[in-house]
Amino acid sequence: MKRLKMTLFSTRYPWLIVALTLLGVVFFGAQFPKVKFDNDPENMLARDEHVRVFHNEVKERYRLYDFVIAGVVNTADEDGIFNVGSLRRIDALTRELISLRENADGLPEVIRNGKPFVPDLQPASAWKRMLAHVFGNDVNNLFDEAGHSVIINGEIISPGVVDNIRQDGQGQLAIEYLMEHAPANREEALVVKHDAMNNPLYKGTLVSEDGQAIALYIPIVAKTYSYNVANLVEKLTEEWPESDQIYITGQPVAQDTFGVEMLVQMASSAPLAGLAIFLLLLFFFRRISLIVAPMIVAVVSVVCTMGLLIGLGYDVHIMSSMIAIFLMPISVADSVHILSEFFDVYPRFRDKAETIKHVVSHLFKPMLYTSLTTIAGFASLATTPIPPVRVFGLHVAFGVALAWVLTMTLVPAYIMLFVRTKTLNALKPEEHKEHRGMLSRRLAAVGTLSYRRWKTILFITVAVIVVSIYGISHIRVNDNPVKWFTKNHRIRVADQVLNSHFGGTYTAYLTLKPASADVMNLSRKLTAIRDRIRTRMEKGTEGTQEFEAILDGFMTRSGKSGQVDEKVFFSDLTVRVEALDAQINGVWLTLGDAINYLDPDKVTLPSIMQAVQGKGDVKERQQLIKALESLGDISGAVLQERALEFVDKKTKTSFLSLLNEALAEINAPAFKQPQNLAWVERLQEFLKTVPKIGKTSSAADALKKASFELNYDADADLQRNNSFYSIPQTPSAVAQVFVQLEGMKKKDSLFHLVTRDYGEVNLWVQLKSGDNTDMQSVVEMTKAWIHDNPAPMKMETGWAGLTYLNVVWQEKMVAGMLNALFSSFVVVLIMMVILFRSVLFGVLAMIPLSVTITFIYGLIGLVGKDYDMPVAVLSSLTLGLSVDFAIHFLERAREMTATTGSWKKAIEKMFQEPAMAISRNAIIISVGFTPLLFAPLVPYKTVGFFLATIMAVSWLATLFILAALITGLQKYLFNKEK
Amino acid sequence: MKRITVLIAAAGLACNLLGELSVAEIVERANQASYYAGDDGSADVTMTITDKGGSVRTREFRVLRMNTGQGTQKFYVYFKKPADLYKQVYLVWKEVKEGKDDSRWMWLPALNLKRSIAPGDKRISFVGSDFVYEDVSGRSLKEDKHELVETTDEQYVLKNTPVNPESVEFASYTVWIDKQTMLPRKAEYYDKSGKLLRTVEAVKVETIQGFPTVIESVAKDLNSGSTTVNTYSAIKYNIGLNERIFTERFLRRPPREAVR
Repeated sequence: MKRLKMTLFSTRYPWLIVALTLLGVVFFGAQFPKVKFDNDPENMLARDEHVRVFHNEVKERYRLYDFVIAGVVNTADEDGIFNVGSLRRIDALTRELISLRENADGLPEVIRNGKPFVPDLQPASAWKRMLAHVFGNDVNNLFDEAGHSVIINGEIISPGVVDNIRQDGQGQLAIEYLMEHAPANREEALVVKHDAMNNPLYKGTLVSEDGQAIALYIPIVAKTYSYNVANLVEKLTEEWPESDQIYITGQPVAQDTFGVEMLVQMASSAPLAGLAIFLLLLFFFRRISLIVAPMIVAVVSVVCTMGLLIGLGYDVHIMSSMIAIFLMPISVADSVHILSEFFDVYPRFRDKAETIKHVVSHLFKPMLYTSLTTIAGFASLATTPIPPVRVFGLHVAFGVALAWVLTMTLVPAYIMLFVRTKTLNALKPEEHKEHRGMLSRRLAAVGTLSYRRWKTILFITVAVIVVSIYGISHIRVNDNPVKWFTKNHRIRVADQVLNSHFGGTYTAYLTLKPASADVMNLSRKLTAIRDRIRTRMEKGTEGTQEFEAILDGFMTRSGKSGQVDEKVFFSDLTVRVEALDAQINGVWLTLGDAINYLDPDKVTLPSIMQAVQGKGDVKERQQLIKALESLGDISGAVLQERALEFVDKKTKTSFLSLLNEALAEINAPAFKQPQNLAWVERLQEFLKTVPKIGKTSSAADALKKASFELNYDADADLQRNNSFYSIPQTPSAVAQVFVQLEGMKKKDSLFHLVTRDYGEVNLWVQLKSGDNTDMQSVVEMTKAWIHDNPAPMKMETGWAGLTYLNVVWQEKMVAGMLNALFSSFVVVLIMMVILFRSVLFGVLAMIPLSVTITFIYGLIGLVGKDYDMPVAVLSSLTLGLSVDFAIHFLERAREMTATTGSWKKAIEKMFQEPAMAISRNAIIISVGFTPLLFAPLVPYKTVGFFLATIMAVSWLATLFILAALITGLQKYLFNKEK
Repeated sequence: MKRITVLIAAAGLACNLLGELSVAEIVERANQASYYAGDDGSADVTMTITDKGGSVRTREFRVLRMNTGQGTQKFYVYFKKPADLYKQVYLVWKEVKEGKDDSRWMWLPALNLKRSIAPGDKRISFVGSDFVYEDVSGRSLKEDKHELVETTDEQYVLKNTPVNPESVEFASYTVWIDKQTMLPRKAEYYDKSGKLLRTVEAVKVETIQGFPTVIESVAKDLNSGSTTVNTYSAIKYNIGLNERIFTERFLRRPPREAVR
């Protein structure tokens, strides 16, 4: 027989097979040292994915970095975190982080109390140290290739290094850091509190509104360093008193920590699952020598698949770390069928080779098809738009194929070589019988039930499906990388604590830019200038006619030559207008100038008269002197001021000033225009009301704060001062306040919120939740608000930030998975039709898996579990695994009906040996994965739970529903056969 | 021992006779050449700030400077462009005595606002450019330890380490000074790990009224990738400025020396 060739060859040359297998293991195993890990969920999106490219553009444009958030909470002190001790420690920590460098031994070193200090960054537990070593996870890796610290010192957000504008108490404006020096006493500490609370950029971000917490934002060059930076912070704060609690979070830390712990999981969960499977096999078959074979198949498949992945240069991603766990049950399944059957029929043949031949010839077709369907299920993932999922799917498919080959070759070879005939012959039939009896009595009952009460069973099935569909309609598609940790995990705790104190640790960026730059041509600009000047100047005011004449002249000039250098053009215009100013106001300007240069202390009327002697015109001079004489007996600075005031009154408005004002307005980029900034302000007001948004920060916030401080007058009343807590009214005023912010101590910090040309702005949105559903509703609500409240000029909005990125890849994931599920469903259906050469049988084979998938997703919807990444991936696993039971069942059912003559007779037999094999398989896989339930990472728990459930449900679906359906349809099914 | 001291002293003398200067002399002369030329002066500055992405901001202003004895100076900076900064003024009284702080004022015409600014960090960016206040007005010689690391045919190379490293963003900076003009031609600022943070370079030098004068200088911020070019024109020395120009009264009413 052709199909037996491979197996017969293996029984003949078992050593060759073993040698080949060893060779394969050595080859693929040799790839392992090349392993690289990638914990970045961002890579769920292809590098050239639009949203990812945009995200990186935004990061680049506004110089934004991923940061580690280290929150310090003090609830013990009456001043909260603003007590001298805590602030000193925070300041010291900041300095230490800034001083981080690589010492001569290549170890991280900070400056503590003026001396170099090398913290011990290694984990305390020897097991973790060992794992870190094995996985090449070096906690001392805090430097880039050039040996520079991965912390971006200039961008750290901490009280000691962020800008603050304040009144220094002597009427002067102080531009300094929020906490120039660590406070020496309570008063100084409370000044820091006061300043921080009065800065809209810091309240809710750097300091909590309740005054109990301060959060440091530590920017890093790449997300992959965040675990190490978090670890560094933990070690540097190890000796802090109990009252200062440190919490470290932020998406990069969560992701990186997940990556690190995922490796620990890989190293512990997979072997534990293997062990559990081993123990169960032992329980069923009672002979270690027999069950070692499936274990070897599983291990070899996993090793080769992972070796292939690594060898091909793929990084081990969150997805691919699960390959081992997925592959294990699948690869064991086939060999369990063989063993199960081998075990049952050996007594009949009493010859290993003969038994194998019988078993394999018997199982070849179902096993081939079960493997093919599983391969189809996983390979369909290659159609998803998510690169790591594609890699995962194809590699699992490879692993399944390999497991099948191994089952066909290595298992027989193993039996030939290592299972002693004596042992097999020594099997006591009684023991065998008795053991079988336990399970099979119940199975027989199931069989009877399925036959007699098939209508009831089908009714129940329909009911379950209806309820499940209802459940599916309630499925909530949601994911949140932080929720990949269990509730008590320190990251979840930190997340919860910090989000209760602060505006939110989840970051999204909302960028706004004018939809199209409104480029005015020269003549439009000139018209605009003239219109502005007309509204400002009363008709007939001296010079307006001349001014308009000048403009007209330039208007003609702009019309004549096609390409005019605007700079030169306006430069010329300025010169002309300057001349006009001199012509109109020249006399008064000269007089004023003469007075201005006088020594204020020595000003007297005669000294003024002397100063203006011969300047300007006699007429104006006389006017001035007459006016000053009328003031009476005053001198000195007072007289000088009055004289200048008089001159000012006489001076006409400068056309150059007007021209510049007009130019400033015409040329103002979008976000120097007060009306656009006011709109941003309104948008922020709205965002504040959106659930889960804790805080937003914008350039408008910085502007208002600076305007307030600049205009602050200690002698003025509160109302007057507060009125300046607003957006200045003209583009020039906005520009002049912004330029002060440009020259702050921390250079360019303004440009995280606005581009340098003030053409685009970026709103930093802090969310208290990283749930994709929350982010999604933020996006939708914002869109709706902007639609209802359009900006003065049409704005384009764009979202970036890790929280938003997660939403996008999730959407792709869901759509991609659904697509993959449907396409593999169709492929498997076609396979089934071919396999059974019957449409009806083919459709029948699809029923248990359809029921299982419907039930599982219905369950997810009903219990309110989020449809997240691991759940999505499970759908393909369900398809691949559930159909296996159906194939075995139907194949045998047909065979038995043929041999016994009727389904009624066949069903009795069906519920003996074949049902046994299916049940063993189901139990092994279900129970085998319970160790995953104890994993500290939720995705592993999910996989563990659902694997067990999938097995249980598809087992039930196969034994009850299929049997019941066959009973109901036997006329059509078996008549056709004949 | 005594003999060695005599030898060193003799060597020092010989050096001086050969025209080689001591470190203190070098920094002093360089300081004079870069910041104190003439009794006073005026220059128009075109400042072009180009960021990493290529976006450009331009500023035009006139600087009036006056030496007011014992190293003190007064500066009047009057903005002409862009239009939205028109007439904005900064006024600085530079002090050199230890413990004495500079005084600063500003005038924001669009806000009709005059404010005095508290003495603070002199390493703050000057109007958002890559130059800091200290580049404009000079860094006190007492704030660094100076060390001559190399002498070439044309230049002295000095390494300067701040006396109080906590007060500045850099760990040290190296300056290349032209022997002939005594003008610093390049300065490189490094952080603690030896990473280059910032450079300031005098790209073009011309002699005006007998004073070697920088007419184009470039500052680069290596972290942000931003570059600022200052070009100087209409440079005049010894124009006889009235010291009264440098008072608050002239903020609102700019002097003709600034306007015309």
